[in-house]
Amino acid sequence: MKCKRCRRAAAAVDLPSHHSAFCPDCFFVFFRRQVEEGIRKFSLLSPRDRVLVCVSGGKDSLVLWDVLMELGYDTEGLYIDLGIEGYSDRSKEKVLAYAGARGKEPIVVDLRREGVPIPEAAKGSRKEECSVCGTVKRYFFNRVAASRGFSVVATGHNLDDESARLLGNLMHWQRDHLERQHPLLPGAGGGLVRKVKPLWRLSEMETAAYGFLKGIDYVTEECPMSHDATSLVYKEALSLIEEKMPGTRSKFYLGFLESKGTQSKGTQSKGTFISFLEEELATGRQEGAEEPLAKCALCGAPSYAETCAFCRLKEKVGKGGSR
Amino acid sequence: MIRVRMPQKKKELEIPGPKRVLDILAAAGVRPTTVLVTQGNRLLTKDQRVEDGETVDIISVVSGG
Repeated sequence: MKCKRCRRAAAAVDLPSHHSAFCPDCFFVFFRRQVEEGIRKFSLLSPRDRVLVCVSGGKDSLVLWDVLMELGYDTEGLYIDLGIEGYSDRSKEKVLAYAGARGKEPIVVDLRREGVPIPEAAKGSRKEECSVCGTVKRYFFNRVAASRGFSVVATGHNLDDESARLLGNLMHWQRDHLERQHPLLPGAGGGLVRKVKPLWRLSEMETAAYGFLKGIDYVTEECPMSHDATSLVYKEALSLIEEKMPGTRSKFYLGFLESKGTQSKGTQSKGTFISFLEEELATGRQEGAEEPLAKCALCGAPSYAETCAFCRLKEKVGKGGSR
Repeated sequence: MIRVRMPQKKKELEIPGPKRVLDILAAAGVRPTTVLVTQGNRLLTKDQRVEDGETVDIISVVSGG
């Protein structure tokens, strides 16, 4: 198979969802353009931003850091050591090696030192590991960004992640989650930093191919805590559909985002599924951004409740909530 | 035989060759949209032919959590 772009070199990546196939050099061009278009579409980043890139050692986050550096953004990496025996050490090694080779030193938060290593925090709070992990990571993403003067937090969520999340939210009619699902979560007064997902147009396969062809050494093993993650069930269902009908996953997620977009322009049509969703989703994201948040009574982090989710978790784990 | 390694599953198979990558994936019971197939530092497209005596790696790209 020849590259469909240069028509000279042999293709290395075939992309049925784009009716295309690319040689490594042309695939890099395709990949960068997808990221640039994803950023442009929702004004995720500006050249003046200081970007805190959250890196786990996996393919998506390291690829995100790589492509943002290549596009000229001012970036630093943040690695959160989850305290998962063996897995966290191997992930950290990958992050340090990647960063070191590029003259960077990532910021490291060690959850053991913070008193909330994920396995113990999940046990102590009697919650699912993935749920605890999400709460803790969101807290530190924001805390590090706000305290060190970053204007935006970037994560490596890709099209597969977002479409699986959308399917899960729809299956369970999680209206509040649907309202917040977007590649851009605006910041707010009171220290809540903007969050963006610049890889939202790219599939997991595409980010993995980019990482492989660029020689990025990432952790290929799965987090041992995530075997029962429900997101994997939704991903499996969407892969089956994607295999039979290439491009469906992208249409599913883009259609959802566009329905949000048309609502904000006031052009929704009444009586359709989309208009129902639009009404449900109508105002939260934009208006929420303008509301000043309260501060957590224990740690001072932005919070809609008296104490933030992280401090409530810490209390449950029995470590105390102040810092 | 083609040697098929699946490092994340700590599994190895031997499949009679030659075969297209897509057929190797079918024989291994793996969905094509969920993996990369590599040979050394090369990425293989799904229509590529693999000869008897060669080795390929199937790398899962699915992350959960």
